[in-house]
Amino acid sequence: MLKIRSLDVAYGGLKALSSVSLDVEEGQLVAVVGPNGAGKTTLFKTISGVVTPLAGEIVYKGRSLLALPPYERAKLGIAHVPEGRQVFASMTVMENLEMGAYARRDRRRQPDLLPSIIEIFPILAERRHQLAGTLSGGEQQMLAIARGLASAPDLLMLDEPSMGLAPTIVDTVFDRIEYIRRAHGLTILLVEQRVAEALELCDRGYVLETGRMILDGSHDTLMSNAEVQRAYLGH
Amino acid sequence: MRRSGLAGQYLAIAAFAAVYLLIGWLVHNSYYQLIMTLVLIWATVGVAWNVLSGYSGMISFGHAAFFGLGGYTMTIAFVQFDITPWIGIPLGVLVGVLASIVIGLPTFRLRGHYFALSMLAYPLAMLYVFEWMGFQEVSLPMKREAPALYVQFNDPRAYMALALVLLVVCMIVSLHVERSRFGMSLTAIKQNEPAASAAGINPLRWKMLALIVSAGMAAAVGGLYAVVLLIVTPQTMFGALVSAQALIIPMFGGIGVFWGPVIGAAVLVPLAETLNAQLGNILPGIQGVVYGVAIILITLLAPEGIYWSIRDRFTSRRAARVPAPSTAGAVAIPAAAPPQQFGHPAADGEALLSLDGISRAFGGLRAVDDVTLSIKAGTIHGIIGPNGAGKTTLFNVINGFLVADTGSIAFAGTELVGRKPHEICRHGIGRTFQVVRAFPRMTVLENVIVGAYVGTASNVEAERFAMAALERVGMADEQAQAIAGGLTTKQLRLMELARALAPRPRLLLLDETLAGLAHDALEDIVQIIRQVNRDGVTVVIIEHTMQAMMKLADHFSVLDHGKLIASGPPASVVKDAVVIEAYLGRKWMERAKDPVA
Amino acid sequence: METLKWPIIDFFQALSTGLLVGGTYGLMCVGLGIIFGVMRVVNFAQGDFMMVGMYVAYYLVTGFGILAFLGPYAGPVVGAALAGPIVFALGWLLHRFLISRVTGARVVSAEAEGHYMQIIMTLGVALVLSNGGLILFGSQPLSVQTPLSRESWEIGPIFLNQARSVAFVLAAAFAAGLYLFLTRSDLGKTMRAAADNPIAAAYMGINVDRLHRFAFGLGVGITAIAGGLIASSQSFQPYIGFDFVIVMYAGVVLGGMGSILGAFWGGLTIGLVQQMSTLILPYQLQNTAIFVVFLLIIFFRPQGMFGRVSDRP
Repeated sequence: MLKIRSLDVAYGGLKALSSVSLDVEEGQLVAVVGPNGAGKTTLFKTISGVVTPLAGEIVYKGRSLLALPPYERAKLGIAHVPEGRQVFASMTVMENLEMGAYARRDRRRQPDLLPSIIEIFPILAERRHQLAGTLSGGEQQMLAIARGLASAPDLLMLDEPSMGLAPTIVDTVFDRIEYIRRAHGLTILLVEQRVAEALELCDRGYVLETGRMILDGSHDTLMSNAEVQRAYLGH
Repeated sequence: MRRSGLAGQYLAIAAFAAVYLLIGWLVHNSYYQLIMTLVLIWATVGVAWNVLSGYSGMISFGHAAFFGLGGYTMTIAFVQFDITPWIGIPLGVLVGVLASIVIGLPTFRLRGHYFALSMLAYPLAMLYVFEWMGFQEVSLPMKREAPALYVQFNDPRAYMALALVLLVVCMIVSLHVERSRFGMSLTAIKQNEPAASAAGINPLRWKMLALIVSAGMAAAVGGLYAVVLLIVTPQTMFGALVSAQALIIPMFGGIGVFWGPVIGAAVLVPLAETLNAQLGNILPGIQGVVYGVAIILITLLAPEGIYWSIRDRFTSRRAARVPAPSTAGAVAIPAAAPPQQFGHPAADGEALLSLDGISRAFGGLRAVDDVTLSIKAGTIHGIIGPNGAGKTTLFNVINGFLVADTGSIAFAGTELVGRKPHEICRHGIGRTFQVVRAFPRMTVLENVIVGAYVGTASNVEAERFAMAALERVGMADEQAQAIAGGLTTKQLRLMELARALAPRPRLLLLDETLAGLAHDALEDIVQIIRQVNRDGVTVVIIEHTMQAMMKLADHFSVLDHGKLIASGPPASVVKDAVVIEAYLGRKWMERAKDPVA
Repeated sequence: METLKWPIIDFFQALSTGLLVGGTYGLMCVGLGIIFGVMRVVNFAQGDFMMVGMYVAYYLVTGFGILAFLGPYAGPVVGAALAGPIVFALGWLLHRFLISRVTGARVVSAEAEGHYMQIIMTLGVALVLSNGGLILFGSQPLSVQTPLSRESWEIGPIFLNQARSVAFVLAAAFAAGLYLFLTRSDLGKTMRAAADNPIAAAYMGINVDRLHRFAFGLGVGITAIAGGLIASSQSFQPYIGFDFVIVMYAGVVLGGMGSILGAFWGGLTIGLVQQMSTLILPYQLQNTAIFVVFLLIIFFRPQGMFGRVSDRP
């Protein structure tokens, strides 16, 4: 569904990504892991269109994304759940979800997704009229994911959902991601710093280190791979 | 120090004054003479505005306040107390300066648009107050018996000469501000206020000083303006058009350089006045339209003003080739300097910086949670941890940008908590920042000198310290004279390092200095840091590039979720199960212990 | 008791007038609130767009007499309402060709640098509009005459000027309509989202640039309507915009710079402050009272009544 080839990206005066390639096939959960500073978020931003690459290709469902601004890419069925949640703090939970559904308007009218979203994140039903800014970190993360789902995407992209969350909450969030994957067969691209959780869920994993893909493989090849450990801890 | 020396600038000013006087002498039409005088007056207003807003970046929309106060002080002194403007104008300067202190102290606490809007309010308030006090229109009395005593002349060119003198004085003051550590400090503040603070510059002090000088100049020229016009109304002294002109003229002509307002006034004032004279009957308000259009065009086409557009075009032709380091890519690693040149011969192994129970929370989130650690003198100490662990927050607390909620920080016997960043720098802690904001039009040396101001009395000494710092990082060759705008990332990082080293700190906080660099550049900088450390500077470094850190650091402290979870030599820390779990996750460890087939 | 009677009556008179005036100020401030909330643009020219609105209303009703057929009561109201779309179009064009060059979604997330260029360009626009107005319209003070301007309703000893009262009701109605728009309609919610978090809004598929254009037009259009409503109660000339800039900013800052609807309450309060200050201050200094309040808010509670702490300086 998503093909990235030889992406070169400069960001903030640095070569953030060099010759990065990856594939996301329909129905897969693909994880991109790597230590901080490896370029994971830059990769994410390049796919969303916030950052323009120097060279390389991004092809989604056979179409090149490069010429499209971020809001156009959203309308193609790519849902973007950004780093740090970025919920609309002054709007209610329901209104946030409505904003998520905005991208759907141009495409064929689909049945109301709300019931299935509530099923995945029951806590949001309780808080539907609460201002998003008053939710806890974990709840905001779930809202951000729900907001992504509200656009009935074909590809759900998650940027470091564990960031800033306490370990038990992280478990809950990943549990929900896994549920989404299982129950709805959604294609997911997950960028994460927390290796174990991410690799556990994935069908395929990529490891980024200082802007390069140093490793890729299936879930089994990567788990407990000494190379991965070295990338994070230097040995 | 810079391209054209002080003497060159003086020569240019003198030439300008001479030419202007000559033209003035040749012109006989009294209306043109008036215009020439007005050009000088508005140029001076622009120079005054520039001293504050051009140099420091604090844009003022309310300079009419000082202009008007100067004008009215002189007027009231003249009309009510028969005091000659020769005394009245300096009196106005005094009033303007006092007002600036009263206004500046509270208003400088604000930033951005709040500052701009507040500055707008002051002259408006004064306008209403003066109208209410009954000063709708005040005429200066004619003193036929002793006109010169009361600054009244038959020949309009006398006013022009007077205005020229005032302008030249202001230009010279402005020149000296620009070239001195005053001006450099303001530029540093404008470019990146936190970095300037961390380099030992006290922002409030310099901004206040700039405001005082600026207000004094504006008040002086306000007084002169009133003398020239002979009629004073609240609208002409405090009105919005005054503040607008004060801003538009320097922005049009060139912001941050004293020639800018001169160019701006020379273009806009005659244009506006002439159009007003010719078409004022059919098109009243044409003046305002001219200024409005001028500023719109400038924001679109040349946001920094005409002077810079022209200069940049010339310099880009000449200095496009930034002198690359003499050996391609590699920076010559300097030999060790005698130990007393850098750092202090503190007993190695003693704790130089001790954090005790430091906590800092934002809302409910504990960014730093009860951290106790000690940095030994002479070591390179790495602070590592997963993203969001609180490393940068910790630095910000040590540095003084954030105040710790609890705990204390002792540095060579001094308590740091509660001190401002520039004070902390003064005590001997330097810091680099992730995003390097250089002064793009200045040389590397000029960029570094700003760091040397703290603790040096003279500019000569500061330059020496700066060159010494550049030597430490291997940029003391022709790179020192390179324009900073054309540097590579590696050179920028080294320049930033030199700036932090310039005041000879005992401790250096490095914030991701190695981030994103390619292998060779990385190696070079690692070498340089090691050398700096050997010369006696204790280094604390936040870094994600683990490979490099392993080679560089003597000691690691690991933070996760704000807490210190491990501390020790790098080799053992990275094998520590707790650390692995923090980075890779609990399940990784479980897998490692119990691999599933 | 007798000695207390007059001050009490004065107090309530000032209060009532303040409320009436405050209603239109509130509407005016909402216009600015939209622009600042959604775009984070400090629009110096807001008052001058209001001035344009006043002249539009005038020319529609009196000058060209286009709306004369509606009679002297309905005419001014419709004139004020029509000023909205006309100024909206003007604002839309200005944004398209000038302001978007120095603003836009990218700049919203940038440093104060971007802000200065915006403010300064709008300063230029303000000068061109106000002086251009002087050229086009002349300096003669005008007002939109309606029979209501000189009539007052009496409630006990309190006089309520009819034109002002009608203006108040209409302003409140427009503000209520705007409230419904912002909270119920898709476009309104999109605007609030873009004001809240422009980056996330772009991720939702919202074309933030085009939204800004709309917000700018809407903001100046609303303020123009408020101007049209005021035009029946007071005279105006091309420079009147500048008198109101501080009123509007004081209102928006008081309400909280991130809160579009808070701006209404801020404007209402400013109207009250202005009128009630005449109880203790001379008439000419009523605007000085506003400045004092403005400065006090900025120094002591910069986020205003409803704003977010993140908008603090």
